[in-house]
Amino acid sequence: VIIAAIVATPFLAALLLLSLRVRSAVQGWISAGIIGVLFGVLLAHLSIVQETGPVQFSIPWMPQIGLSFSLLLDGLALLFGLLITGIGAAIHYYAGYYFENEKESRRFLSLLLAFTGSMLLLVIAGNILTLFIAWELTSIISFLLISFKGKKDAKARAGASQALVITGGGGLALLLGLLLLGTAAGSMEWSDILSSGDVLRTHAWYPALLALIAIGCFTKSAQVPLHFWLPDAMSAPTPASGFLHSATMVKAGIYLLLRLSPVLGGDALWTAVLTTFGLITLIVGAALALRQDDLKGALAYSTISQLGALVALIGLPGEIGIKAALVGVLAHALYKAPLFLVVGAVDHATGTRLLSKLGGLRQSMPGFAAVAGISALSMAGVIPLFGFVSKELLLKAIIDTPGFSVALIIVVISAIFSVCMATILFWDVFMGSRRATPDDHHDNQREHPLPHPMVYAPMGLAAASVIFGVGVSPLVTPLLEPAARSKVSLYLIAPYGIDLALVLSTVAIIVGAALFAFRRQWRSLQIPTLFTGAQGYRLAVRGVERVGDVLLRSQGGKIRYYLSGILIGVVALMSTAGVGTLLNSAAPSFALRNAAELLKAVLLVLSITATFASITFKQHLLAALALGVAGYSIGGIFLLEPAPDVALVQFLVETLATVLIIMILTKTSTAEREKVIGVVWDQTRLGIWRDAAIAILVGTGVALFATAAVNSRPTPQAVANWHLQNALPQAGANDVVAAIITDFRGTDTLIEITVFGMAALGVLTLLAKPEIGERARRVFQTPYLLRRIRARVLRLELPEPMSEYSPEQYAGVAVPSASREDSEALMLHDPLPAPPEMPAPTPSLLDALTRVMAVLTLPFALLIALSHLLYAGSAPGDGFTAGVIAGLGVALWYIIYGYTEAKKRLTWLHPVRFIGLGLFIAFTNAVLPLLFGREFLAFTLVQEITLPADIKLASPLIFEIGIFFAVFGGASAIMEAITHPKEVESM
Amino acid sequence: MNTLFAIGTGVMFGLGVFQLLRRDLIKSAMGFYILFTAINLLFLAVGAFNGEAPPYVNDQNVTAAQSADPLVQALLLTAIVISFGSYALLLSFIAIASRRFHTVDTDELDYLKG
Repeated sequence: VIIAAIVATPFLAALLLLSLRVRSAVQGWISAGIIGVLFGVLLAHLSIVQETGPVQFSIPWMPQIGLSFSLLLDGLALLFGLLITGIGAAIHYYAGYYFENEKESRRFLSLLLAFTGSMLLLVIAGNILTLFIAWELTSIISFLLISFKGKKDAKARAGASQALVITGGGGLALLLGLLLLGTAAGSMEWSDILSSGDVLRTHAWYPALLALIAIGCFTKSAQVPLHFWLPDAMSAPTPASGFLHSATMVKAGIYLLLRLSPVLGGDALWTAVLTTFGLITLIVGAALALRQDDLKGALAYSTISQLGALVALIGLPGEIGIKAALVGVLAHALYKAPLFLVVGAVDHATGTRLLSKLGGLRQSMPGFAAVAGISALSMAGVIPLFGFVSKELLLKAIIDTPGFSVALIIVVISAIFSVCMATILFWDVFMGSRRATPDDHHDNQREHPLPHPMVYAPMGLAAASVIFGVGVSPLVTPLLEPAARSKVSLYLIAPYGIDLALVLSTVAIIVGAALFAFRRQWRSLQIPTLFTGAQGYRLAVRGVERVGDVLLRSQGGKIRYYLSGILIGVVALMSTAGVGTLLNSAAPSFALRNAAELLKAVLLVLSITATFASITFKQHLLAALALGVAGYSIGGIFLLEPAPDVALVQFLVETLATVLIIMILTKTSTAEREKVIGVVWDQTRLGIWRDAAIAILVGTGVALFATAAVNSRPTPQAVANWHLQNALPQAGANDVVAAIITDFRGTDTLIEITVFGMAALGVLTLLAKPEIGERARRVFQTPYLLRRIRARVLRLELPEPMSEYSPEQYAGVAVPSASREDSEALMLHDPLPAPPEMPAPTPSLLDALTRVMAVLTLPFALLIALSHLLYAGSAPGDGFTAGVIAGLGVALWYIIYGYTEAKKRLTWLHPVRFIGLGLFIAFTNAVLPLLFGREFLAFTLVQEITLPADIKLASPLIFEIGIFFAVFGGASAIMEAITHPKEVESM
Repeated sequence: MNTLFAIGTGVMFGLGVFQLLRRDLIKSAMGFYILFTAINLLFLAVGAFNGEAPPYVNDQNVTAAQSADPLVQALLLTAIVISFGSYALLLSFIAIASRRFHTVDTDELDYLKG
């Protein structure tokens, strides 16, 4: 649990920091303090891990796919954890002073804390999927940090997105590689993977997973040729560069390789891949570093070079390489981080970090000069600093491995370059005379004393370089031994005196110093630049953009063309499935077995004919009616299936839908519709043939698919039979369909009524209530609430915000008929003289008889609905039917009385509240069993209370009531909306 | 019989697509509705058995005869209500578009085109 807390703390600290309003330096202290505590906790774990083995922690996450959130703190994780927190504490402290602006530092430090957390998670992850998540987190936070100054700086944006693309792409490769690894090892947990090395090394996937993981690690750890993102990432604020791009994030790849070396290492392929790329990176990085004028660029390339060395070391067969790499990781972090911090301070103080403009800063920045001197010496590998130990080990590892003579030459040459670079970094910045620069005056103005405590952070790290160097054997050995899993003996001066490694490193120092002396000469040389990875990246980006341009040209903007494209694609996919099965299936039979089937066939033909008619009818109204006929025929087919519940709903919904479309026709202006009817039917013959061809194509495809589906049903009807057998015992319903709706697939139903409610609310918002937002805003203002309460108390009438529409205005043109067919017949001739700007509102029908009918119908509708509701489980009809029946009753009201009057008379009707009530009942009914330790939507039957007339008081009944209210509310909301005389501003 | 229904589904679907591709938005919406119906037909046709009795069991948990497939019926039931909801939403979009842009011709509705 403690290790879980270690990982969680930085994230929590980031949140804490965001909520604090303190000076930037204080922010730095706080975060550095927190990280420092973590460092202490990790240090305390050192002895635990050494004595009792790795500490583990695990909570299942998605056990089905082997994903659990597990942590594993062993020696290697501990070493990296100490490195991250140790350097992290110094950098957080420093960053508090680096930013003067409180807001900036808050943003920066919280990002940095989050980064520290992800990095800790990465190294302590006990599972490759957890590791991958942390890996991606570091990429993303790194992106945010590189683009920290992105608002003003386009280069920062470009660098950040480049880093994200490269490391993110590498992350994808890594994900594939890790999944292969996990599958091959049979587990995603490190503890299992680490013990299955023999299986993995001989597995057929070994080359593939090695290549993929290597790509991931190489992109993260900036190996040539994918190194170029790192120098471009230097547009990050310097503390971030010092932390992420030298000490931690780029070490993630190194960490993973180290972690995997006991499992995947030792193989010839492993050695070949790692040493080749590592050595190339080592020399290329060291050489390119010398050509940089920007201090941070130089540091970036030297980091790349060091990373190359580490990769090569991990690739070496035998244990010495791993030990050398572990020492190298520590040593590099300890000298590179302070160098970055010094550069940040120099930049801060002088306003530039170009070598050609700097010099002689030792007087104004003595503390930083000392730090830079020590770190540069460590970088050059001078005795007695820690860098020396690391360099000796590197040379020794290469010397001791047979067959690496070329590698030795490369290492020595890059050591020379590195010595030269270190000298330049120190001498040209702090020694010598101050350079005269064109904007010297400006620089002088910029130059200002740095906050004094800033220097302590790099100083502490530089001191560590000295202490670890001098006291290498007592101090570093206990750190390394658990990580290397074997005895480690480190010493500053080899007990056997002078050996080849010592000679070579001395040679490197001398030659490097000589190279430094001639720097003026070779720095002015113009060396042609080769094709670099960065250019390749830019070419690729440009290529993608060009392809995008071409694709954009194909977007015509006509909806129908898009539709055709989508449909043809879908059908192509569907019919492939169909054709395959058709070839294997028996000859299709068209035989009709009995009278019911004959009737069904007739109804099918009828519905197809009616549909066809609806297409050919010019008038919308006729088309809508024909569609209604088709719908009723389908209802008849349902009835013959026999599916009485479905047929009932189909008849009711069809009626409602026909009413709906007719109402909508009155809402759209007749002139517009006439116009478009004309356009459509004057359309060129070609257009119609084209659409017909598409339709035939799609129809054929669907028919093929459907035939295949019909003819390849699974023969043992397991699902259906299960439902039939369990409906009564498990859901207490004789009606199996009702049992499925309220119980077996109850969650579907819950979602379905929610969707229906949403759709109804959508209609209401679109057509009736533009002022909902306005009203909500007003309601939540206190004066309005007070006024409302007072009005309630005093029984005052509140002025309605809704615009009043007077029915008298249209009374003269009222249509004196009630039955649907009649009103349709009238509208067929479009008798309503619609005002040009406003659609004709529904007139109230003044005929007394029709009014009485409407008044009488609604209670009966509700009564029928109630009976459907109560016997949902044992007879045809259910909550849906009940809701639609009641909705139809309300629809009649709205049609006959019109919006205003219906609204005024049906005071009890609140469609929106009904939707809410229905959903509330349904969801509460579903959730309630959870409180009693039963599963979601559990079936409960109350047997103690017997209701009259065989009504069962059980949970499905409550569910049906919820469905009823949701559907009834939805249907009435739709009706209310389409009869609402709202005006829409035109554009 | 089932093959007949499968072909009927195909025909209905084709009709729906043709209607959907009209320039007239209202006709287009009707096309949408035809597609709903066609899909429902397909559902019915792929049901597990050709039933002779509705899927009801008596209190001894026995159906009257070979029952129709209850699962497709339950799915159909919800599908019908949902399709009505989306049809209503679609139509109200059209009503709004018609009032705001004074046209129900899709080719004239190019307000969103860049």
